[in-house]
Amino acid sequence: MEETVIRLPARWTDASVLEKTLRTGPSPLSNLCSEVNFQIPKNCQLMTDAAVRFLCLLNQLDYSTRRVTINFEEKKDGVLPYLERIGFFQSLSPGVLVLPHRPSGFAAVRYRGHNPSVVEIQRIYRKQRDDSLPKRLTRAITQACEKRRDVNEIEEAAWTIFAELIDNVFSHSETLLDGFAALQVYPKGNCLKVAVSDSGFGMLETLRPALKKEAPKLAALSDVDLIVEVFKQGLSRHGSGRGCGLKGCADKAVKFGAELDVRLPTARVLLVPGTLGYTPNRAFCYSDLPLIWGTHVCFTFNLTKKF
Amino acid sequence: MLRMNQIPSLDLRLSEFMDGEDGWGRDAGRVTCRRLIGFVESNPGILVFRVSLIRVRRVDISFASETVVELARKYRGQKGFCFVDLVDMDQRENWEAAALRAKQPIMMWGSNGKPTIVGLEPGQGTVGALAFALRKTEVRAAEYAAADKSVSITNASTKFKQLWEQGFLLRREAAAESGGLEYVYFLIR
Repeated sequence: MEETVIRLPARWTDASVLEKTLRTGPSPLSNLCSEVNFQIPKNCQLMTDAAVRFLCLLNQLDYSTRRVTINFEEKKDGVLPYLERIGFFQSLSPGVLVLPHRPSGFAAVRYRGHNPSVVEIQRIYRKQRDDSLPKRLTRAITQACEKRRDVNEIEEAAWTIFAELIDNVFSHSETLLDGFAALQVYPKGNCLKVAVSDSGFGMLETLRPALKKEAPKLAALSDVDLIVEVFKQGLSRHGSGRGCGLKGCADKAVKFGAELDVRLPTARVLLVPGTLGYTPNRAFCYSDLPLIWGTHVCFTFNLTKKF
Repeated sequence: MLRMNQIPSLDLRLSEFMDGEDGWGRDAGRVTCRRLIGFVESNPGILVFRVSLIRVRRVDISFASETVVELARKYRGQKGFCFVDLVDMDQRENWEAAALRAKQPIMMWGSNGKPTIVGLEPGQGTVGALAFALRKTEVRAAEYAAADKSVSITNASTKFKQLWEQGFLLRREAAAESGGLEYVYFLIR
């Protein structure tokens, strides 16, 4: 049994950078690892998609009885106050040790609903559905994109994506751990990130067994091809009449040239839309990744093309 | 309100069966659907329900699948459901996606009285018959065969039967001029 130290880079860290960092070392959820120490250096800026995925990993590590420490090397202007504002620590398992100290959570309360570009990380309570969750998550768009003519279109697309993905967490994730959802508008980057993560079995783990019985040809597809089909034609373990929700998400996101990032327990598929939407030949696949339970989906809207 | 024509119809406000202005998720959809079925069953004489989306701000595709699309599918051939004020394009996309997946057509009537089909489109073999039906309140196979010389009565009858089975039209039995029985097909409006 040993301690694993994972040091995040001192720069903007989106889900891709986080994944690249995690790949450099042993899987923190492996059986050999009993203690995990995450070091967050000065100038490390966690973006929303990375923050939500990181949060899930931390809670999974704590749930599986690892000793987990996050050590923030900068506390005044760095990522710690930002994470505090978006409610990261309110959703973090109490067993995770935060150094130099765990924020009180007052900042999240103080900023709640008043930050024009970011919505706090919202917890998806599996036991009790919060009907207003998709609406709360998308309200930041109205403020952040108010000068855009297509603000309503963006908001409706993001709302549908949240509604469908959060509903999937309720229907499919089968986990005791809560899921998380977050949205952030990056005015300078002219992009919008819509992220939903859960800590369940993973989309394909529940889909493949059903497909083996009903659609063996689809079941034989690789992870990349199957993920593409999930979002392109809509597939569900409940049969051909279902699965249209994720397809609908993709159809809306493609209008904004949104990149789609799907992280599964040990694989990740990054889809870049072309004229035909999401296709296998425009997919980047990463396999044999360090284990993170669940399905982590992030759409990154490109807001530079339409105005 | 019951309208004064020969096809018993009733207005149905979806919002009155929902828990809020936003409808999302399959479970919430199923709850709403059970309420809708209760309403439909409590009005046994009504053949057409004219669904109003007033005060429905948004629905996601899963909710759409489990509510009006599911009703239309469940009662296909017996009762019809149409939209009367589906003007929001984003919402329409979601109804469209849900109806397409269920292979269910749902008529949407605009304020100008013109219909648009949400969901399943008619096939090449029946599109002409549907267009003919859309010009009338009700239609018989013999009328279509008389109007289009390339179509026999049997052929016209088959086309209308397909449209009825697929959910584009409703039908009732009526006395034929020959003395027997024939079907009269009518629009869901």
